[in-house]
Amino acid sequence: MFRLIGRTYGIFGMKTSVQRIVIVGGGTAGWLSACGLAAKLPGLAITLVEAPNIPTIGVGEGTWPTMRESLATIGIAESEFLRECDAAFKQGSRFDGWTDGAVDDSYLHPFTAPLPGDMRDMLAAWQAGDQSTPFSAAMTPQHAVCAHNLAPRQRTMPDYAGALNYGYHLDAGKFAALLARHATGRLGVTRIAAEVTGVKVDHDGDIAALHLRDHPTLAGDLFIDCSGQAALLIGGSCGAGWIDRSDISFNDRALAVQVPVAPGSPVASQTIGTAHEAGWLWDIGLPTRRGIGCVYSSRFLSNDRAAQILADYVAAKVPGTDPALLRPRQLTFATGHRDRFWVGNCLAVGLSAGFIEPLEASAIVLIELSIKTLTENFPRSRAAMTIHAARFNALFRYRWDNIVEFLKLHYVLSRREEPYWQAQRSPATIPDRLAENLALWRDQPPSAWDFPRVDEMFPAASQQFVLYGMGFPLPVGGPPPTATAIARVRDVAGKARALAAALPANRDYFAAMAAQRSAQKDHAVP
Amino acid sequence: MSQHEILNPADHGTLRVRTEASAALGDNVMACLTVPAEFRAVQAHYPIVFRRDGETGKLAALALFGFDSGENLFLAGDSWDALYKPLALAVQPFLIGRPANDDDVPQVHVDRGHARISTSGEGVRVFDDSGQPTPYLEAIASKLGDLDFAWRASDGFFATLERYDLIEPFSLDVTLDNGSQQSLVGFQTINEDRLAALDGAALQSLQAQGHLTAIFMVLASLSQFAALVARMNARMAGG
Repeated sequence: MFRLIGRTYGIFGMKTSVQRIVIVGGGTAGWLSACGLAAKLPGLAITLVEAPNIPTIGVGEGTWPTMRESLATIGIAESEFLRECDAAFKQGSRFDGWTDGAVDDSYLHPFTAPLPGDMRDMLAAWQAGDQSTPFSAAMTPQHAVCAHNLAPRQRTMPDYAGALNYGYHLDAGKFAALLARHATGRLGVTRIAAEVTGVKVDHDGDIAALHLRDHPTLAGDLFIDCSGQAALLIGGSCGAGWIDRSDISFNDRALAVQVPVAPGSPVASQTIGTAHEAGWLWDIGLPTRRGIGCVYSSRFLSNDRAAQILADYVAAKVPGTDPALLRPRQLTFATGHRDRFWVGNCLAVGLSAGFIEPLEASAIVLIELSIKTLTENFPRSRAAMTIHAARFNALFRYRWDNIVEFLKLHYVLSRREEPYWQAQRSPATIPDRLAENLALWRDQPPSAWDFPRVDEMFPAASQQFVLYGMGFPLPVGGPPPTATAIARVRDVAGKARALAAALPANRDYFAAMAAQRSAQKDHAVP
Repeated sequence: MSQHEILNPADHGTLRVRTEASAALGDNVMACLTVPAEFRAVQAHYPIVFRRDGETGKLAALALFGFDSGENLFLAGDSWDALYKPLALAVQPFLIGRPANDDDVPQVHVDRGHARISTSGEGVRVFDDSGQPTPYLEAIASKLGDLDFAWRASDGFFATLERYDLIEPFSLDVTLDNGSQQSLVGFQTINEDRLAALDGAALQSLQAQGHLTAIFMVLASLSQFAALVARMNARMAGG
């Protein structure tokens, strides 16, 4: 019914209204965009076209805490989401072996922010206390909760509320399927299963319509390219260029496996990123399986050696698995992004906009931020679209630069000696702004002065957790800690004890959720 | 079926207790014991009444949550709709274990048969991995100590009330908004006329023993009956 609403014309025959949204591609990006737009702007006519039988890439399996607000806005209950996506709670990322590769080399980048107040004061209070306490443990009780594999919430809390900040680990294929059911079943989004065979361009350069195989031409006012690395529209008729960032971010390959886990085994509270000689391994725990992948640079590591590193890791970390039975999937990727994300009436969202290694799980959050930016600045007319597009392009160019720089920070602070790691620290590969920040951070901790924009992806808090987790020197010569700061740091230990006692283990949370569901099912039998 | 054990990290190292409010966890009660030491906190939410034990003749104080057996008007699904929960309820499923020798330190006992004992891995732990009491158990132990001390002190309170003949039976009859009658019988309260007639020496004695404040807290708590009736009306109206 919605699709009958045509483009409206003003008295001079100008295109004035933006009502028909066409989304190309049905992965996480496509369906999350469809749900977000439909929920926030219910007057739009939204059509998603996806080619049948195109597998989703399924690597983005970690979200940020932003996902809670996204899901609440879309209107999906948390228990439904957890159940349908085989999801688990993610409370941050742990980095093992990044600083020097020693046995006890590990730090946590938790989602809960450090203590409020002047960071110089908090750092002084941390240093005045027990020297063996890691920075994250001094700043938030989340460190202790993660160390015990505990959930960030109790089941009796309202949906999407927690004692600590959290996001999710999920099965990306199931997530896209849930979003698709929700979009078409509850939010009025139209799905067309067809292959896009061509683009019909207006005299003014806009996309007027898409030609589909065995299907009528699909017209629209705004096109969202969620076609993944194919970048059908943005890289096709829109002609946006590609900015390569592999000079800074070296990794270009990954070997991914999914390993079943024993029933009742602990489910980790955070993503674990373990450094190896020429890259790192991801380890994402879901209730039923662990997704493990070896990320590496083909310049420094052979595929065979990467496969061996992956097999060794699985053998050591997932007891009872026979590495010989693993059939890793090889992924090859180019690191970079478009020079423009919004061209004319086409916006690229997801992998069509850019890709970088999943070190800080930036893929899904970029989709959310793109849709948030679009819905909160939705072009009411074609004329306004040009202004919004220019601003969007400037903002996301800034965001991509920040992502590239923040991921690089993880490498430049390392003291590992392998050639790959030495090359990562070569000054020629370090962006100017990161080098500047590092110089300033010797005198003062990262602050909002360094990251002043709306919805900064990696604000001062993120930088602090990585810097001081990796042993970056503290600013010298400041005043001694105030009594307030000392009390706040001491208070963290008390809160950690209370939370460690009150929160259930992740595994027990999901078991109780399943038990309640089966009890309800039994009850519902007539 | 109650099953009391002396709480200790060896047997209860991984024990978890469900702390949320719920009828299934035993919160569907119309009243619970209260003690003079907490009357100030209790009267801010609940009527305080007395009941005489049919066999021993001893008086005890109760905080009222409803008008009928099993009816708790403060229980709304999984939440307890008041800021203060009387100690006797808040310490469940723990109890004071009184040792044989009166000089010994009282022990914390746990009722393993209580509905609050978790079997699902959810709930709050009482000991951490190193066998140390958690902040939750520390808070419970402190409440048990308060309750034990106050419970023993309450004998003196009631003896004094009886000595001055300040106890009288009372009954309450209410017509609810829907026309139905609700009545409460079998409880006692303070006789205000006799309290007002006490001479200076008597008042001074009550004051010196610390009972005067508790007596007035009981009187003040009676105005919570209006709030309790309002909860009853709201519940009836809500179906």
